[in-house]
Amino acid sequence: MAASAQEKELAQLIVTSLNLEVSADEIDPEAALYGEGLGLDSIDILELSLAISKTYGVQLKSDDADNNKIFSSLRNLNAHIQQHRA
Amino acid sequence: MMRVYVEGIGLLGPGLDGWLTGRAVLAGEAAYVAAPTNLRASDMLPAAERRRAGVPIKLALAVGQEAFLHAARETKSASTVFTSSGGDNDNVHAINNILATAPREVSPTRFHNSVHNAAAGYWCIAAGSHEPSTSLCAYDASFPAGLLESATQVTVDDAVVVLIAYDHPYPEPLNAVRPISAAFGTALILTPRQTEKSLASIEVEFVSGNAQETTMQDAGLEALRCGVPAARALPLLAALAGGKEAQLSIAYFSDNHLSVRVKPC
Repeated sequence: MAASAQEKELAQLIVTSLNLEVSADEIDPEAALYGEGLGLDSIDILELSLAISKTYGVQLKSDDADNNKIFSSLRNLNAHIQQHRA
Repeated sequence: MMRVYVEGIGLLGPGLDGWLTGRAVLAGEAAYVAAPTNLRASDMLPAAERRRAGVPIKLALAVGQEAFLHAARETKSASTVFTSSGGDNDNVHAINNILATAPREVSPTRFHNSVHNAAAGYWCIAAGSHEPSTSLCAYDASFPAGLLESATQVTVDDAVVVLIAYDHPYPEPLNAVRPISAAFGTALILTPRQTEKSLASIEVEFVSGNAQETTMQDAGLEALRCGVPAARALPLLAALAGGKEAQLSIAYFSDNHLSVRVKPC
């Protein structure tokens, strides 16, 4: 399924905040963000959490038991943000 | 007095785009024309580190890589001495901005880049190096401090050492209180013994008391030497470029200086 407008906006935030060498359009909404896939590492996830907090007012905690699921793909991350945004 | 041998040189500054072209300018064979420093992220770095690399990382890796290419030596084969007056001055400015604005949440990448030995960390990842590494700062004497430390390590440890000196400007308002005029970096690969690749010997001696500093003849290069702590290396680089014997004086702390004698091999 193609990326929604909200997912495209989040993809752009990921590219900008992490200075990625890919464009937002190239991020597959269902591909893994961490490790294989987009290739993000732990510093990227922390950086992205800060950018999401500033942009959407959603706090992502490093000790959240659901982090693996939340950060598993653009689609799941966006769903979590939309569910919790202020 | 310590005698070390130069095997490779790296250079990147305003109008000095690499040692190959910079050498002719410093030797007086080509005119010096100031131009913005041609910064680019090193292809030695993995993608994640490359996109986090600020100006000083780009400078340090570019000149280090050039020096090792020049010496046809493996990057992981040498100890490293990094020296910079301020380190990542853009990053200092950005963190100050964040800390002055609520909520004071510092970017993890900025925090990770804020240590003075960040360039050493990136270099060791890029070069695959497990050799000893030292990172220094000594305000305007950062270059001679690095040269003294490198020559000492080469002599005492009988080791090959790469000296990497770099500095770049602060944004305002810090620029007003600590002006650094341009982004400039240089690297020297120093060996304890003469090899078939040696370009020159350098005899380094710490001398108490004042001496007339060696300056650059060209007004633009002299402004660069005075404007950037790392560019205090320019008289030494010019002597290496000229390929003739030279006796230099580089100002150190507290009215002391380094006496440096250059002899081509």
